[in-house]
Amino acid sequence: MPEQLIKVRPTKIELIRLKRRLSLTERVQKIVKDRLSILTLEFLQTARETVEAKKKLVDEFPEVYKALSLASGYHGYLALEKEFMATEMNLKVAAGSRNIAGVRTPSFELGGTERAVRGYSLVDTSSCVDRAAQLCEKCLETIVELAELQRSLELLGMEINRTKRISNALEYIMIPGLQATIKYLYMKFEERDREEKARLKRVKVLLQPG
Amino acid sequence: MPDKLTYQRILQEYLRDELRVLNAHLPRKQKPLSDLLREEYPHVVCNDGSTYLFKRKELEYLASLIDSDEQQALLLPMLIELSSDQGEAAVILGEEVEENIISKILGMPVTRKQARITIYRPQLALLRKKLKTTTQYIFSPARY
Repeated sequence: MPEQLIKVRPTKIELIRLKRRLSLTERVQKIVKDRLSILTLEFLQTARETVEAKKKLVDEFPEVYKALSLASGYHGYLALEKEFMATEMNLKVAAGSRNIAGVRTPSFELGGTERAVRGYSLVDTSSCVDRAAQLCEKCLETIVELAELQRSLELLGMEINRTKRISNALEYIMIPGLQATIKYLYMKFEERDREEKARLKRVKVLLQPG
Repeated sequence: MPDKLTYQRILQEYLRDELRVLNAHLPRKQKPLSDLLREEYPHVVCNDGSTYLFKRKELEYLASLIDSDEQQALLLPMLIELSSDQGEAAVILGEEVEENIISKILGMPVTRKQARITIYRPQLALLRKKLKTTTQYIFSPARY
């Protein structure tokens, strides 16, 4: 793609301005590139963790269903439902945000899921119910973790795309454009100098007597 | 379709925004680990007014690595400085406590020069995996 010249008046002051703009743009390009490499590093890390969390969840869910089926088979569905009515609890999820190289990602932390007394009668229930409850709590933690990771992954992906566009714009449009314009201005000045010299020579010839 | 001049202006705006966004997340004031452990929701306030939340598990992990005196001296979040003149390296701003923690996490000795600990990108990935919320990136435009 040919470099696009920026429309400027061919003056020295414009040349100084363009040079300043070029050096600033080059500095920004370095920052953007560094940021892009950090975002990519974080994205890959988050992707790996998301896969791990998903795998963990896929492994945990059958365990939970198995434990629940066992408990309901042992106590009967109605009896179990009656016991579980008393176990309702308010979940405490601390939600905040954290910042990864300028990308604000959510941060969740589940608190107070593990309880010594879960609310159901210990006399009327067996260890099957305990195990099912324990596994459910573990599953809940993984779900919250996965929610955080997945959203972070999406946000990081979007930011990488945006930063890549900026980086490309700088590399292929802005910097070549500025360089071409600076080169054009230099050529213009040299041409002006040559014209001036030619004119002076012409004047000198005209002024020479005889 | 924007003309050439408008396009240039849009790009300039982008750049300005980019620089503003980069360090907006830095904390106004770092807090010692011992104070954060006492908070119900351990957090710091950032330059842009937002709240940065620490994970309690991470804080407890850090606390397990050092003794109570060092917990008082360790200021969080730890800042990781990036600049292009260092190539693949990153610098962690910190004193002896940070040096101890990083060498324990990485399982290797690290060197500290003028309150700066230099590590490389593969080590950075490992460090960030362990300390997600207790470390933060800082971009220093002055060094670019």
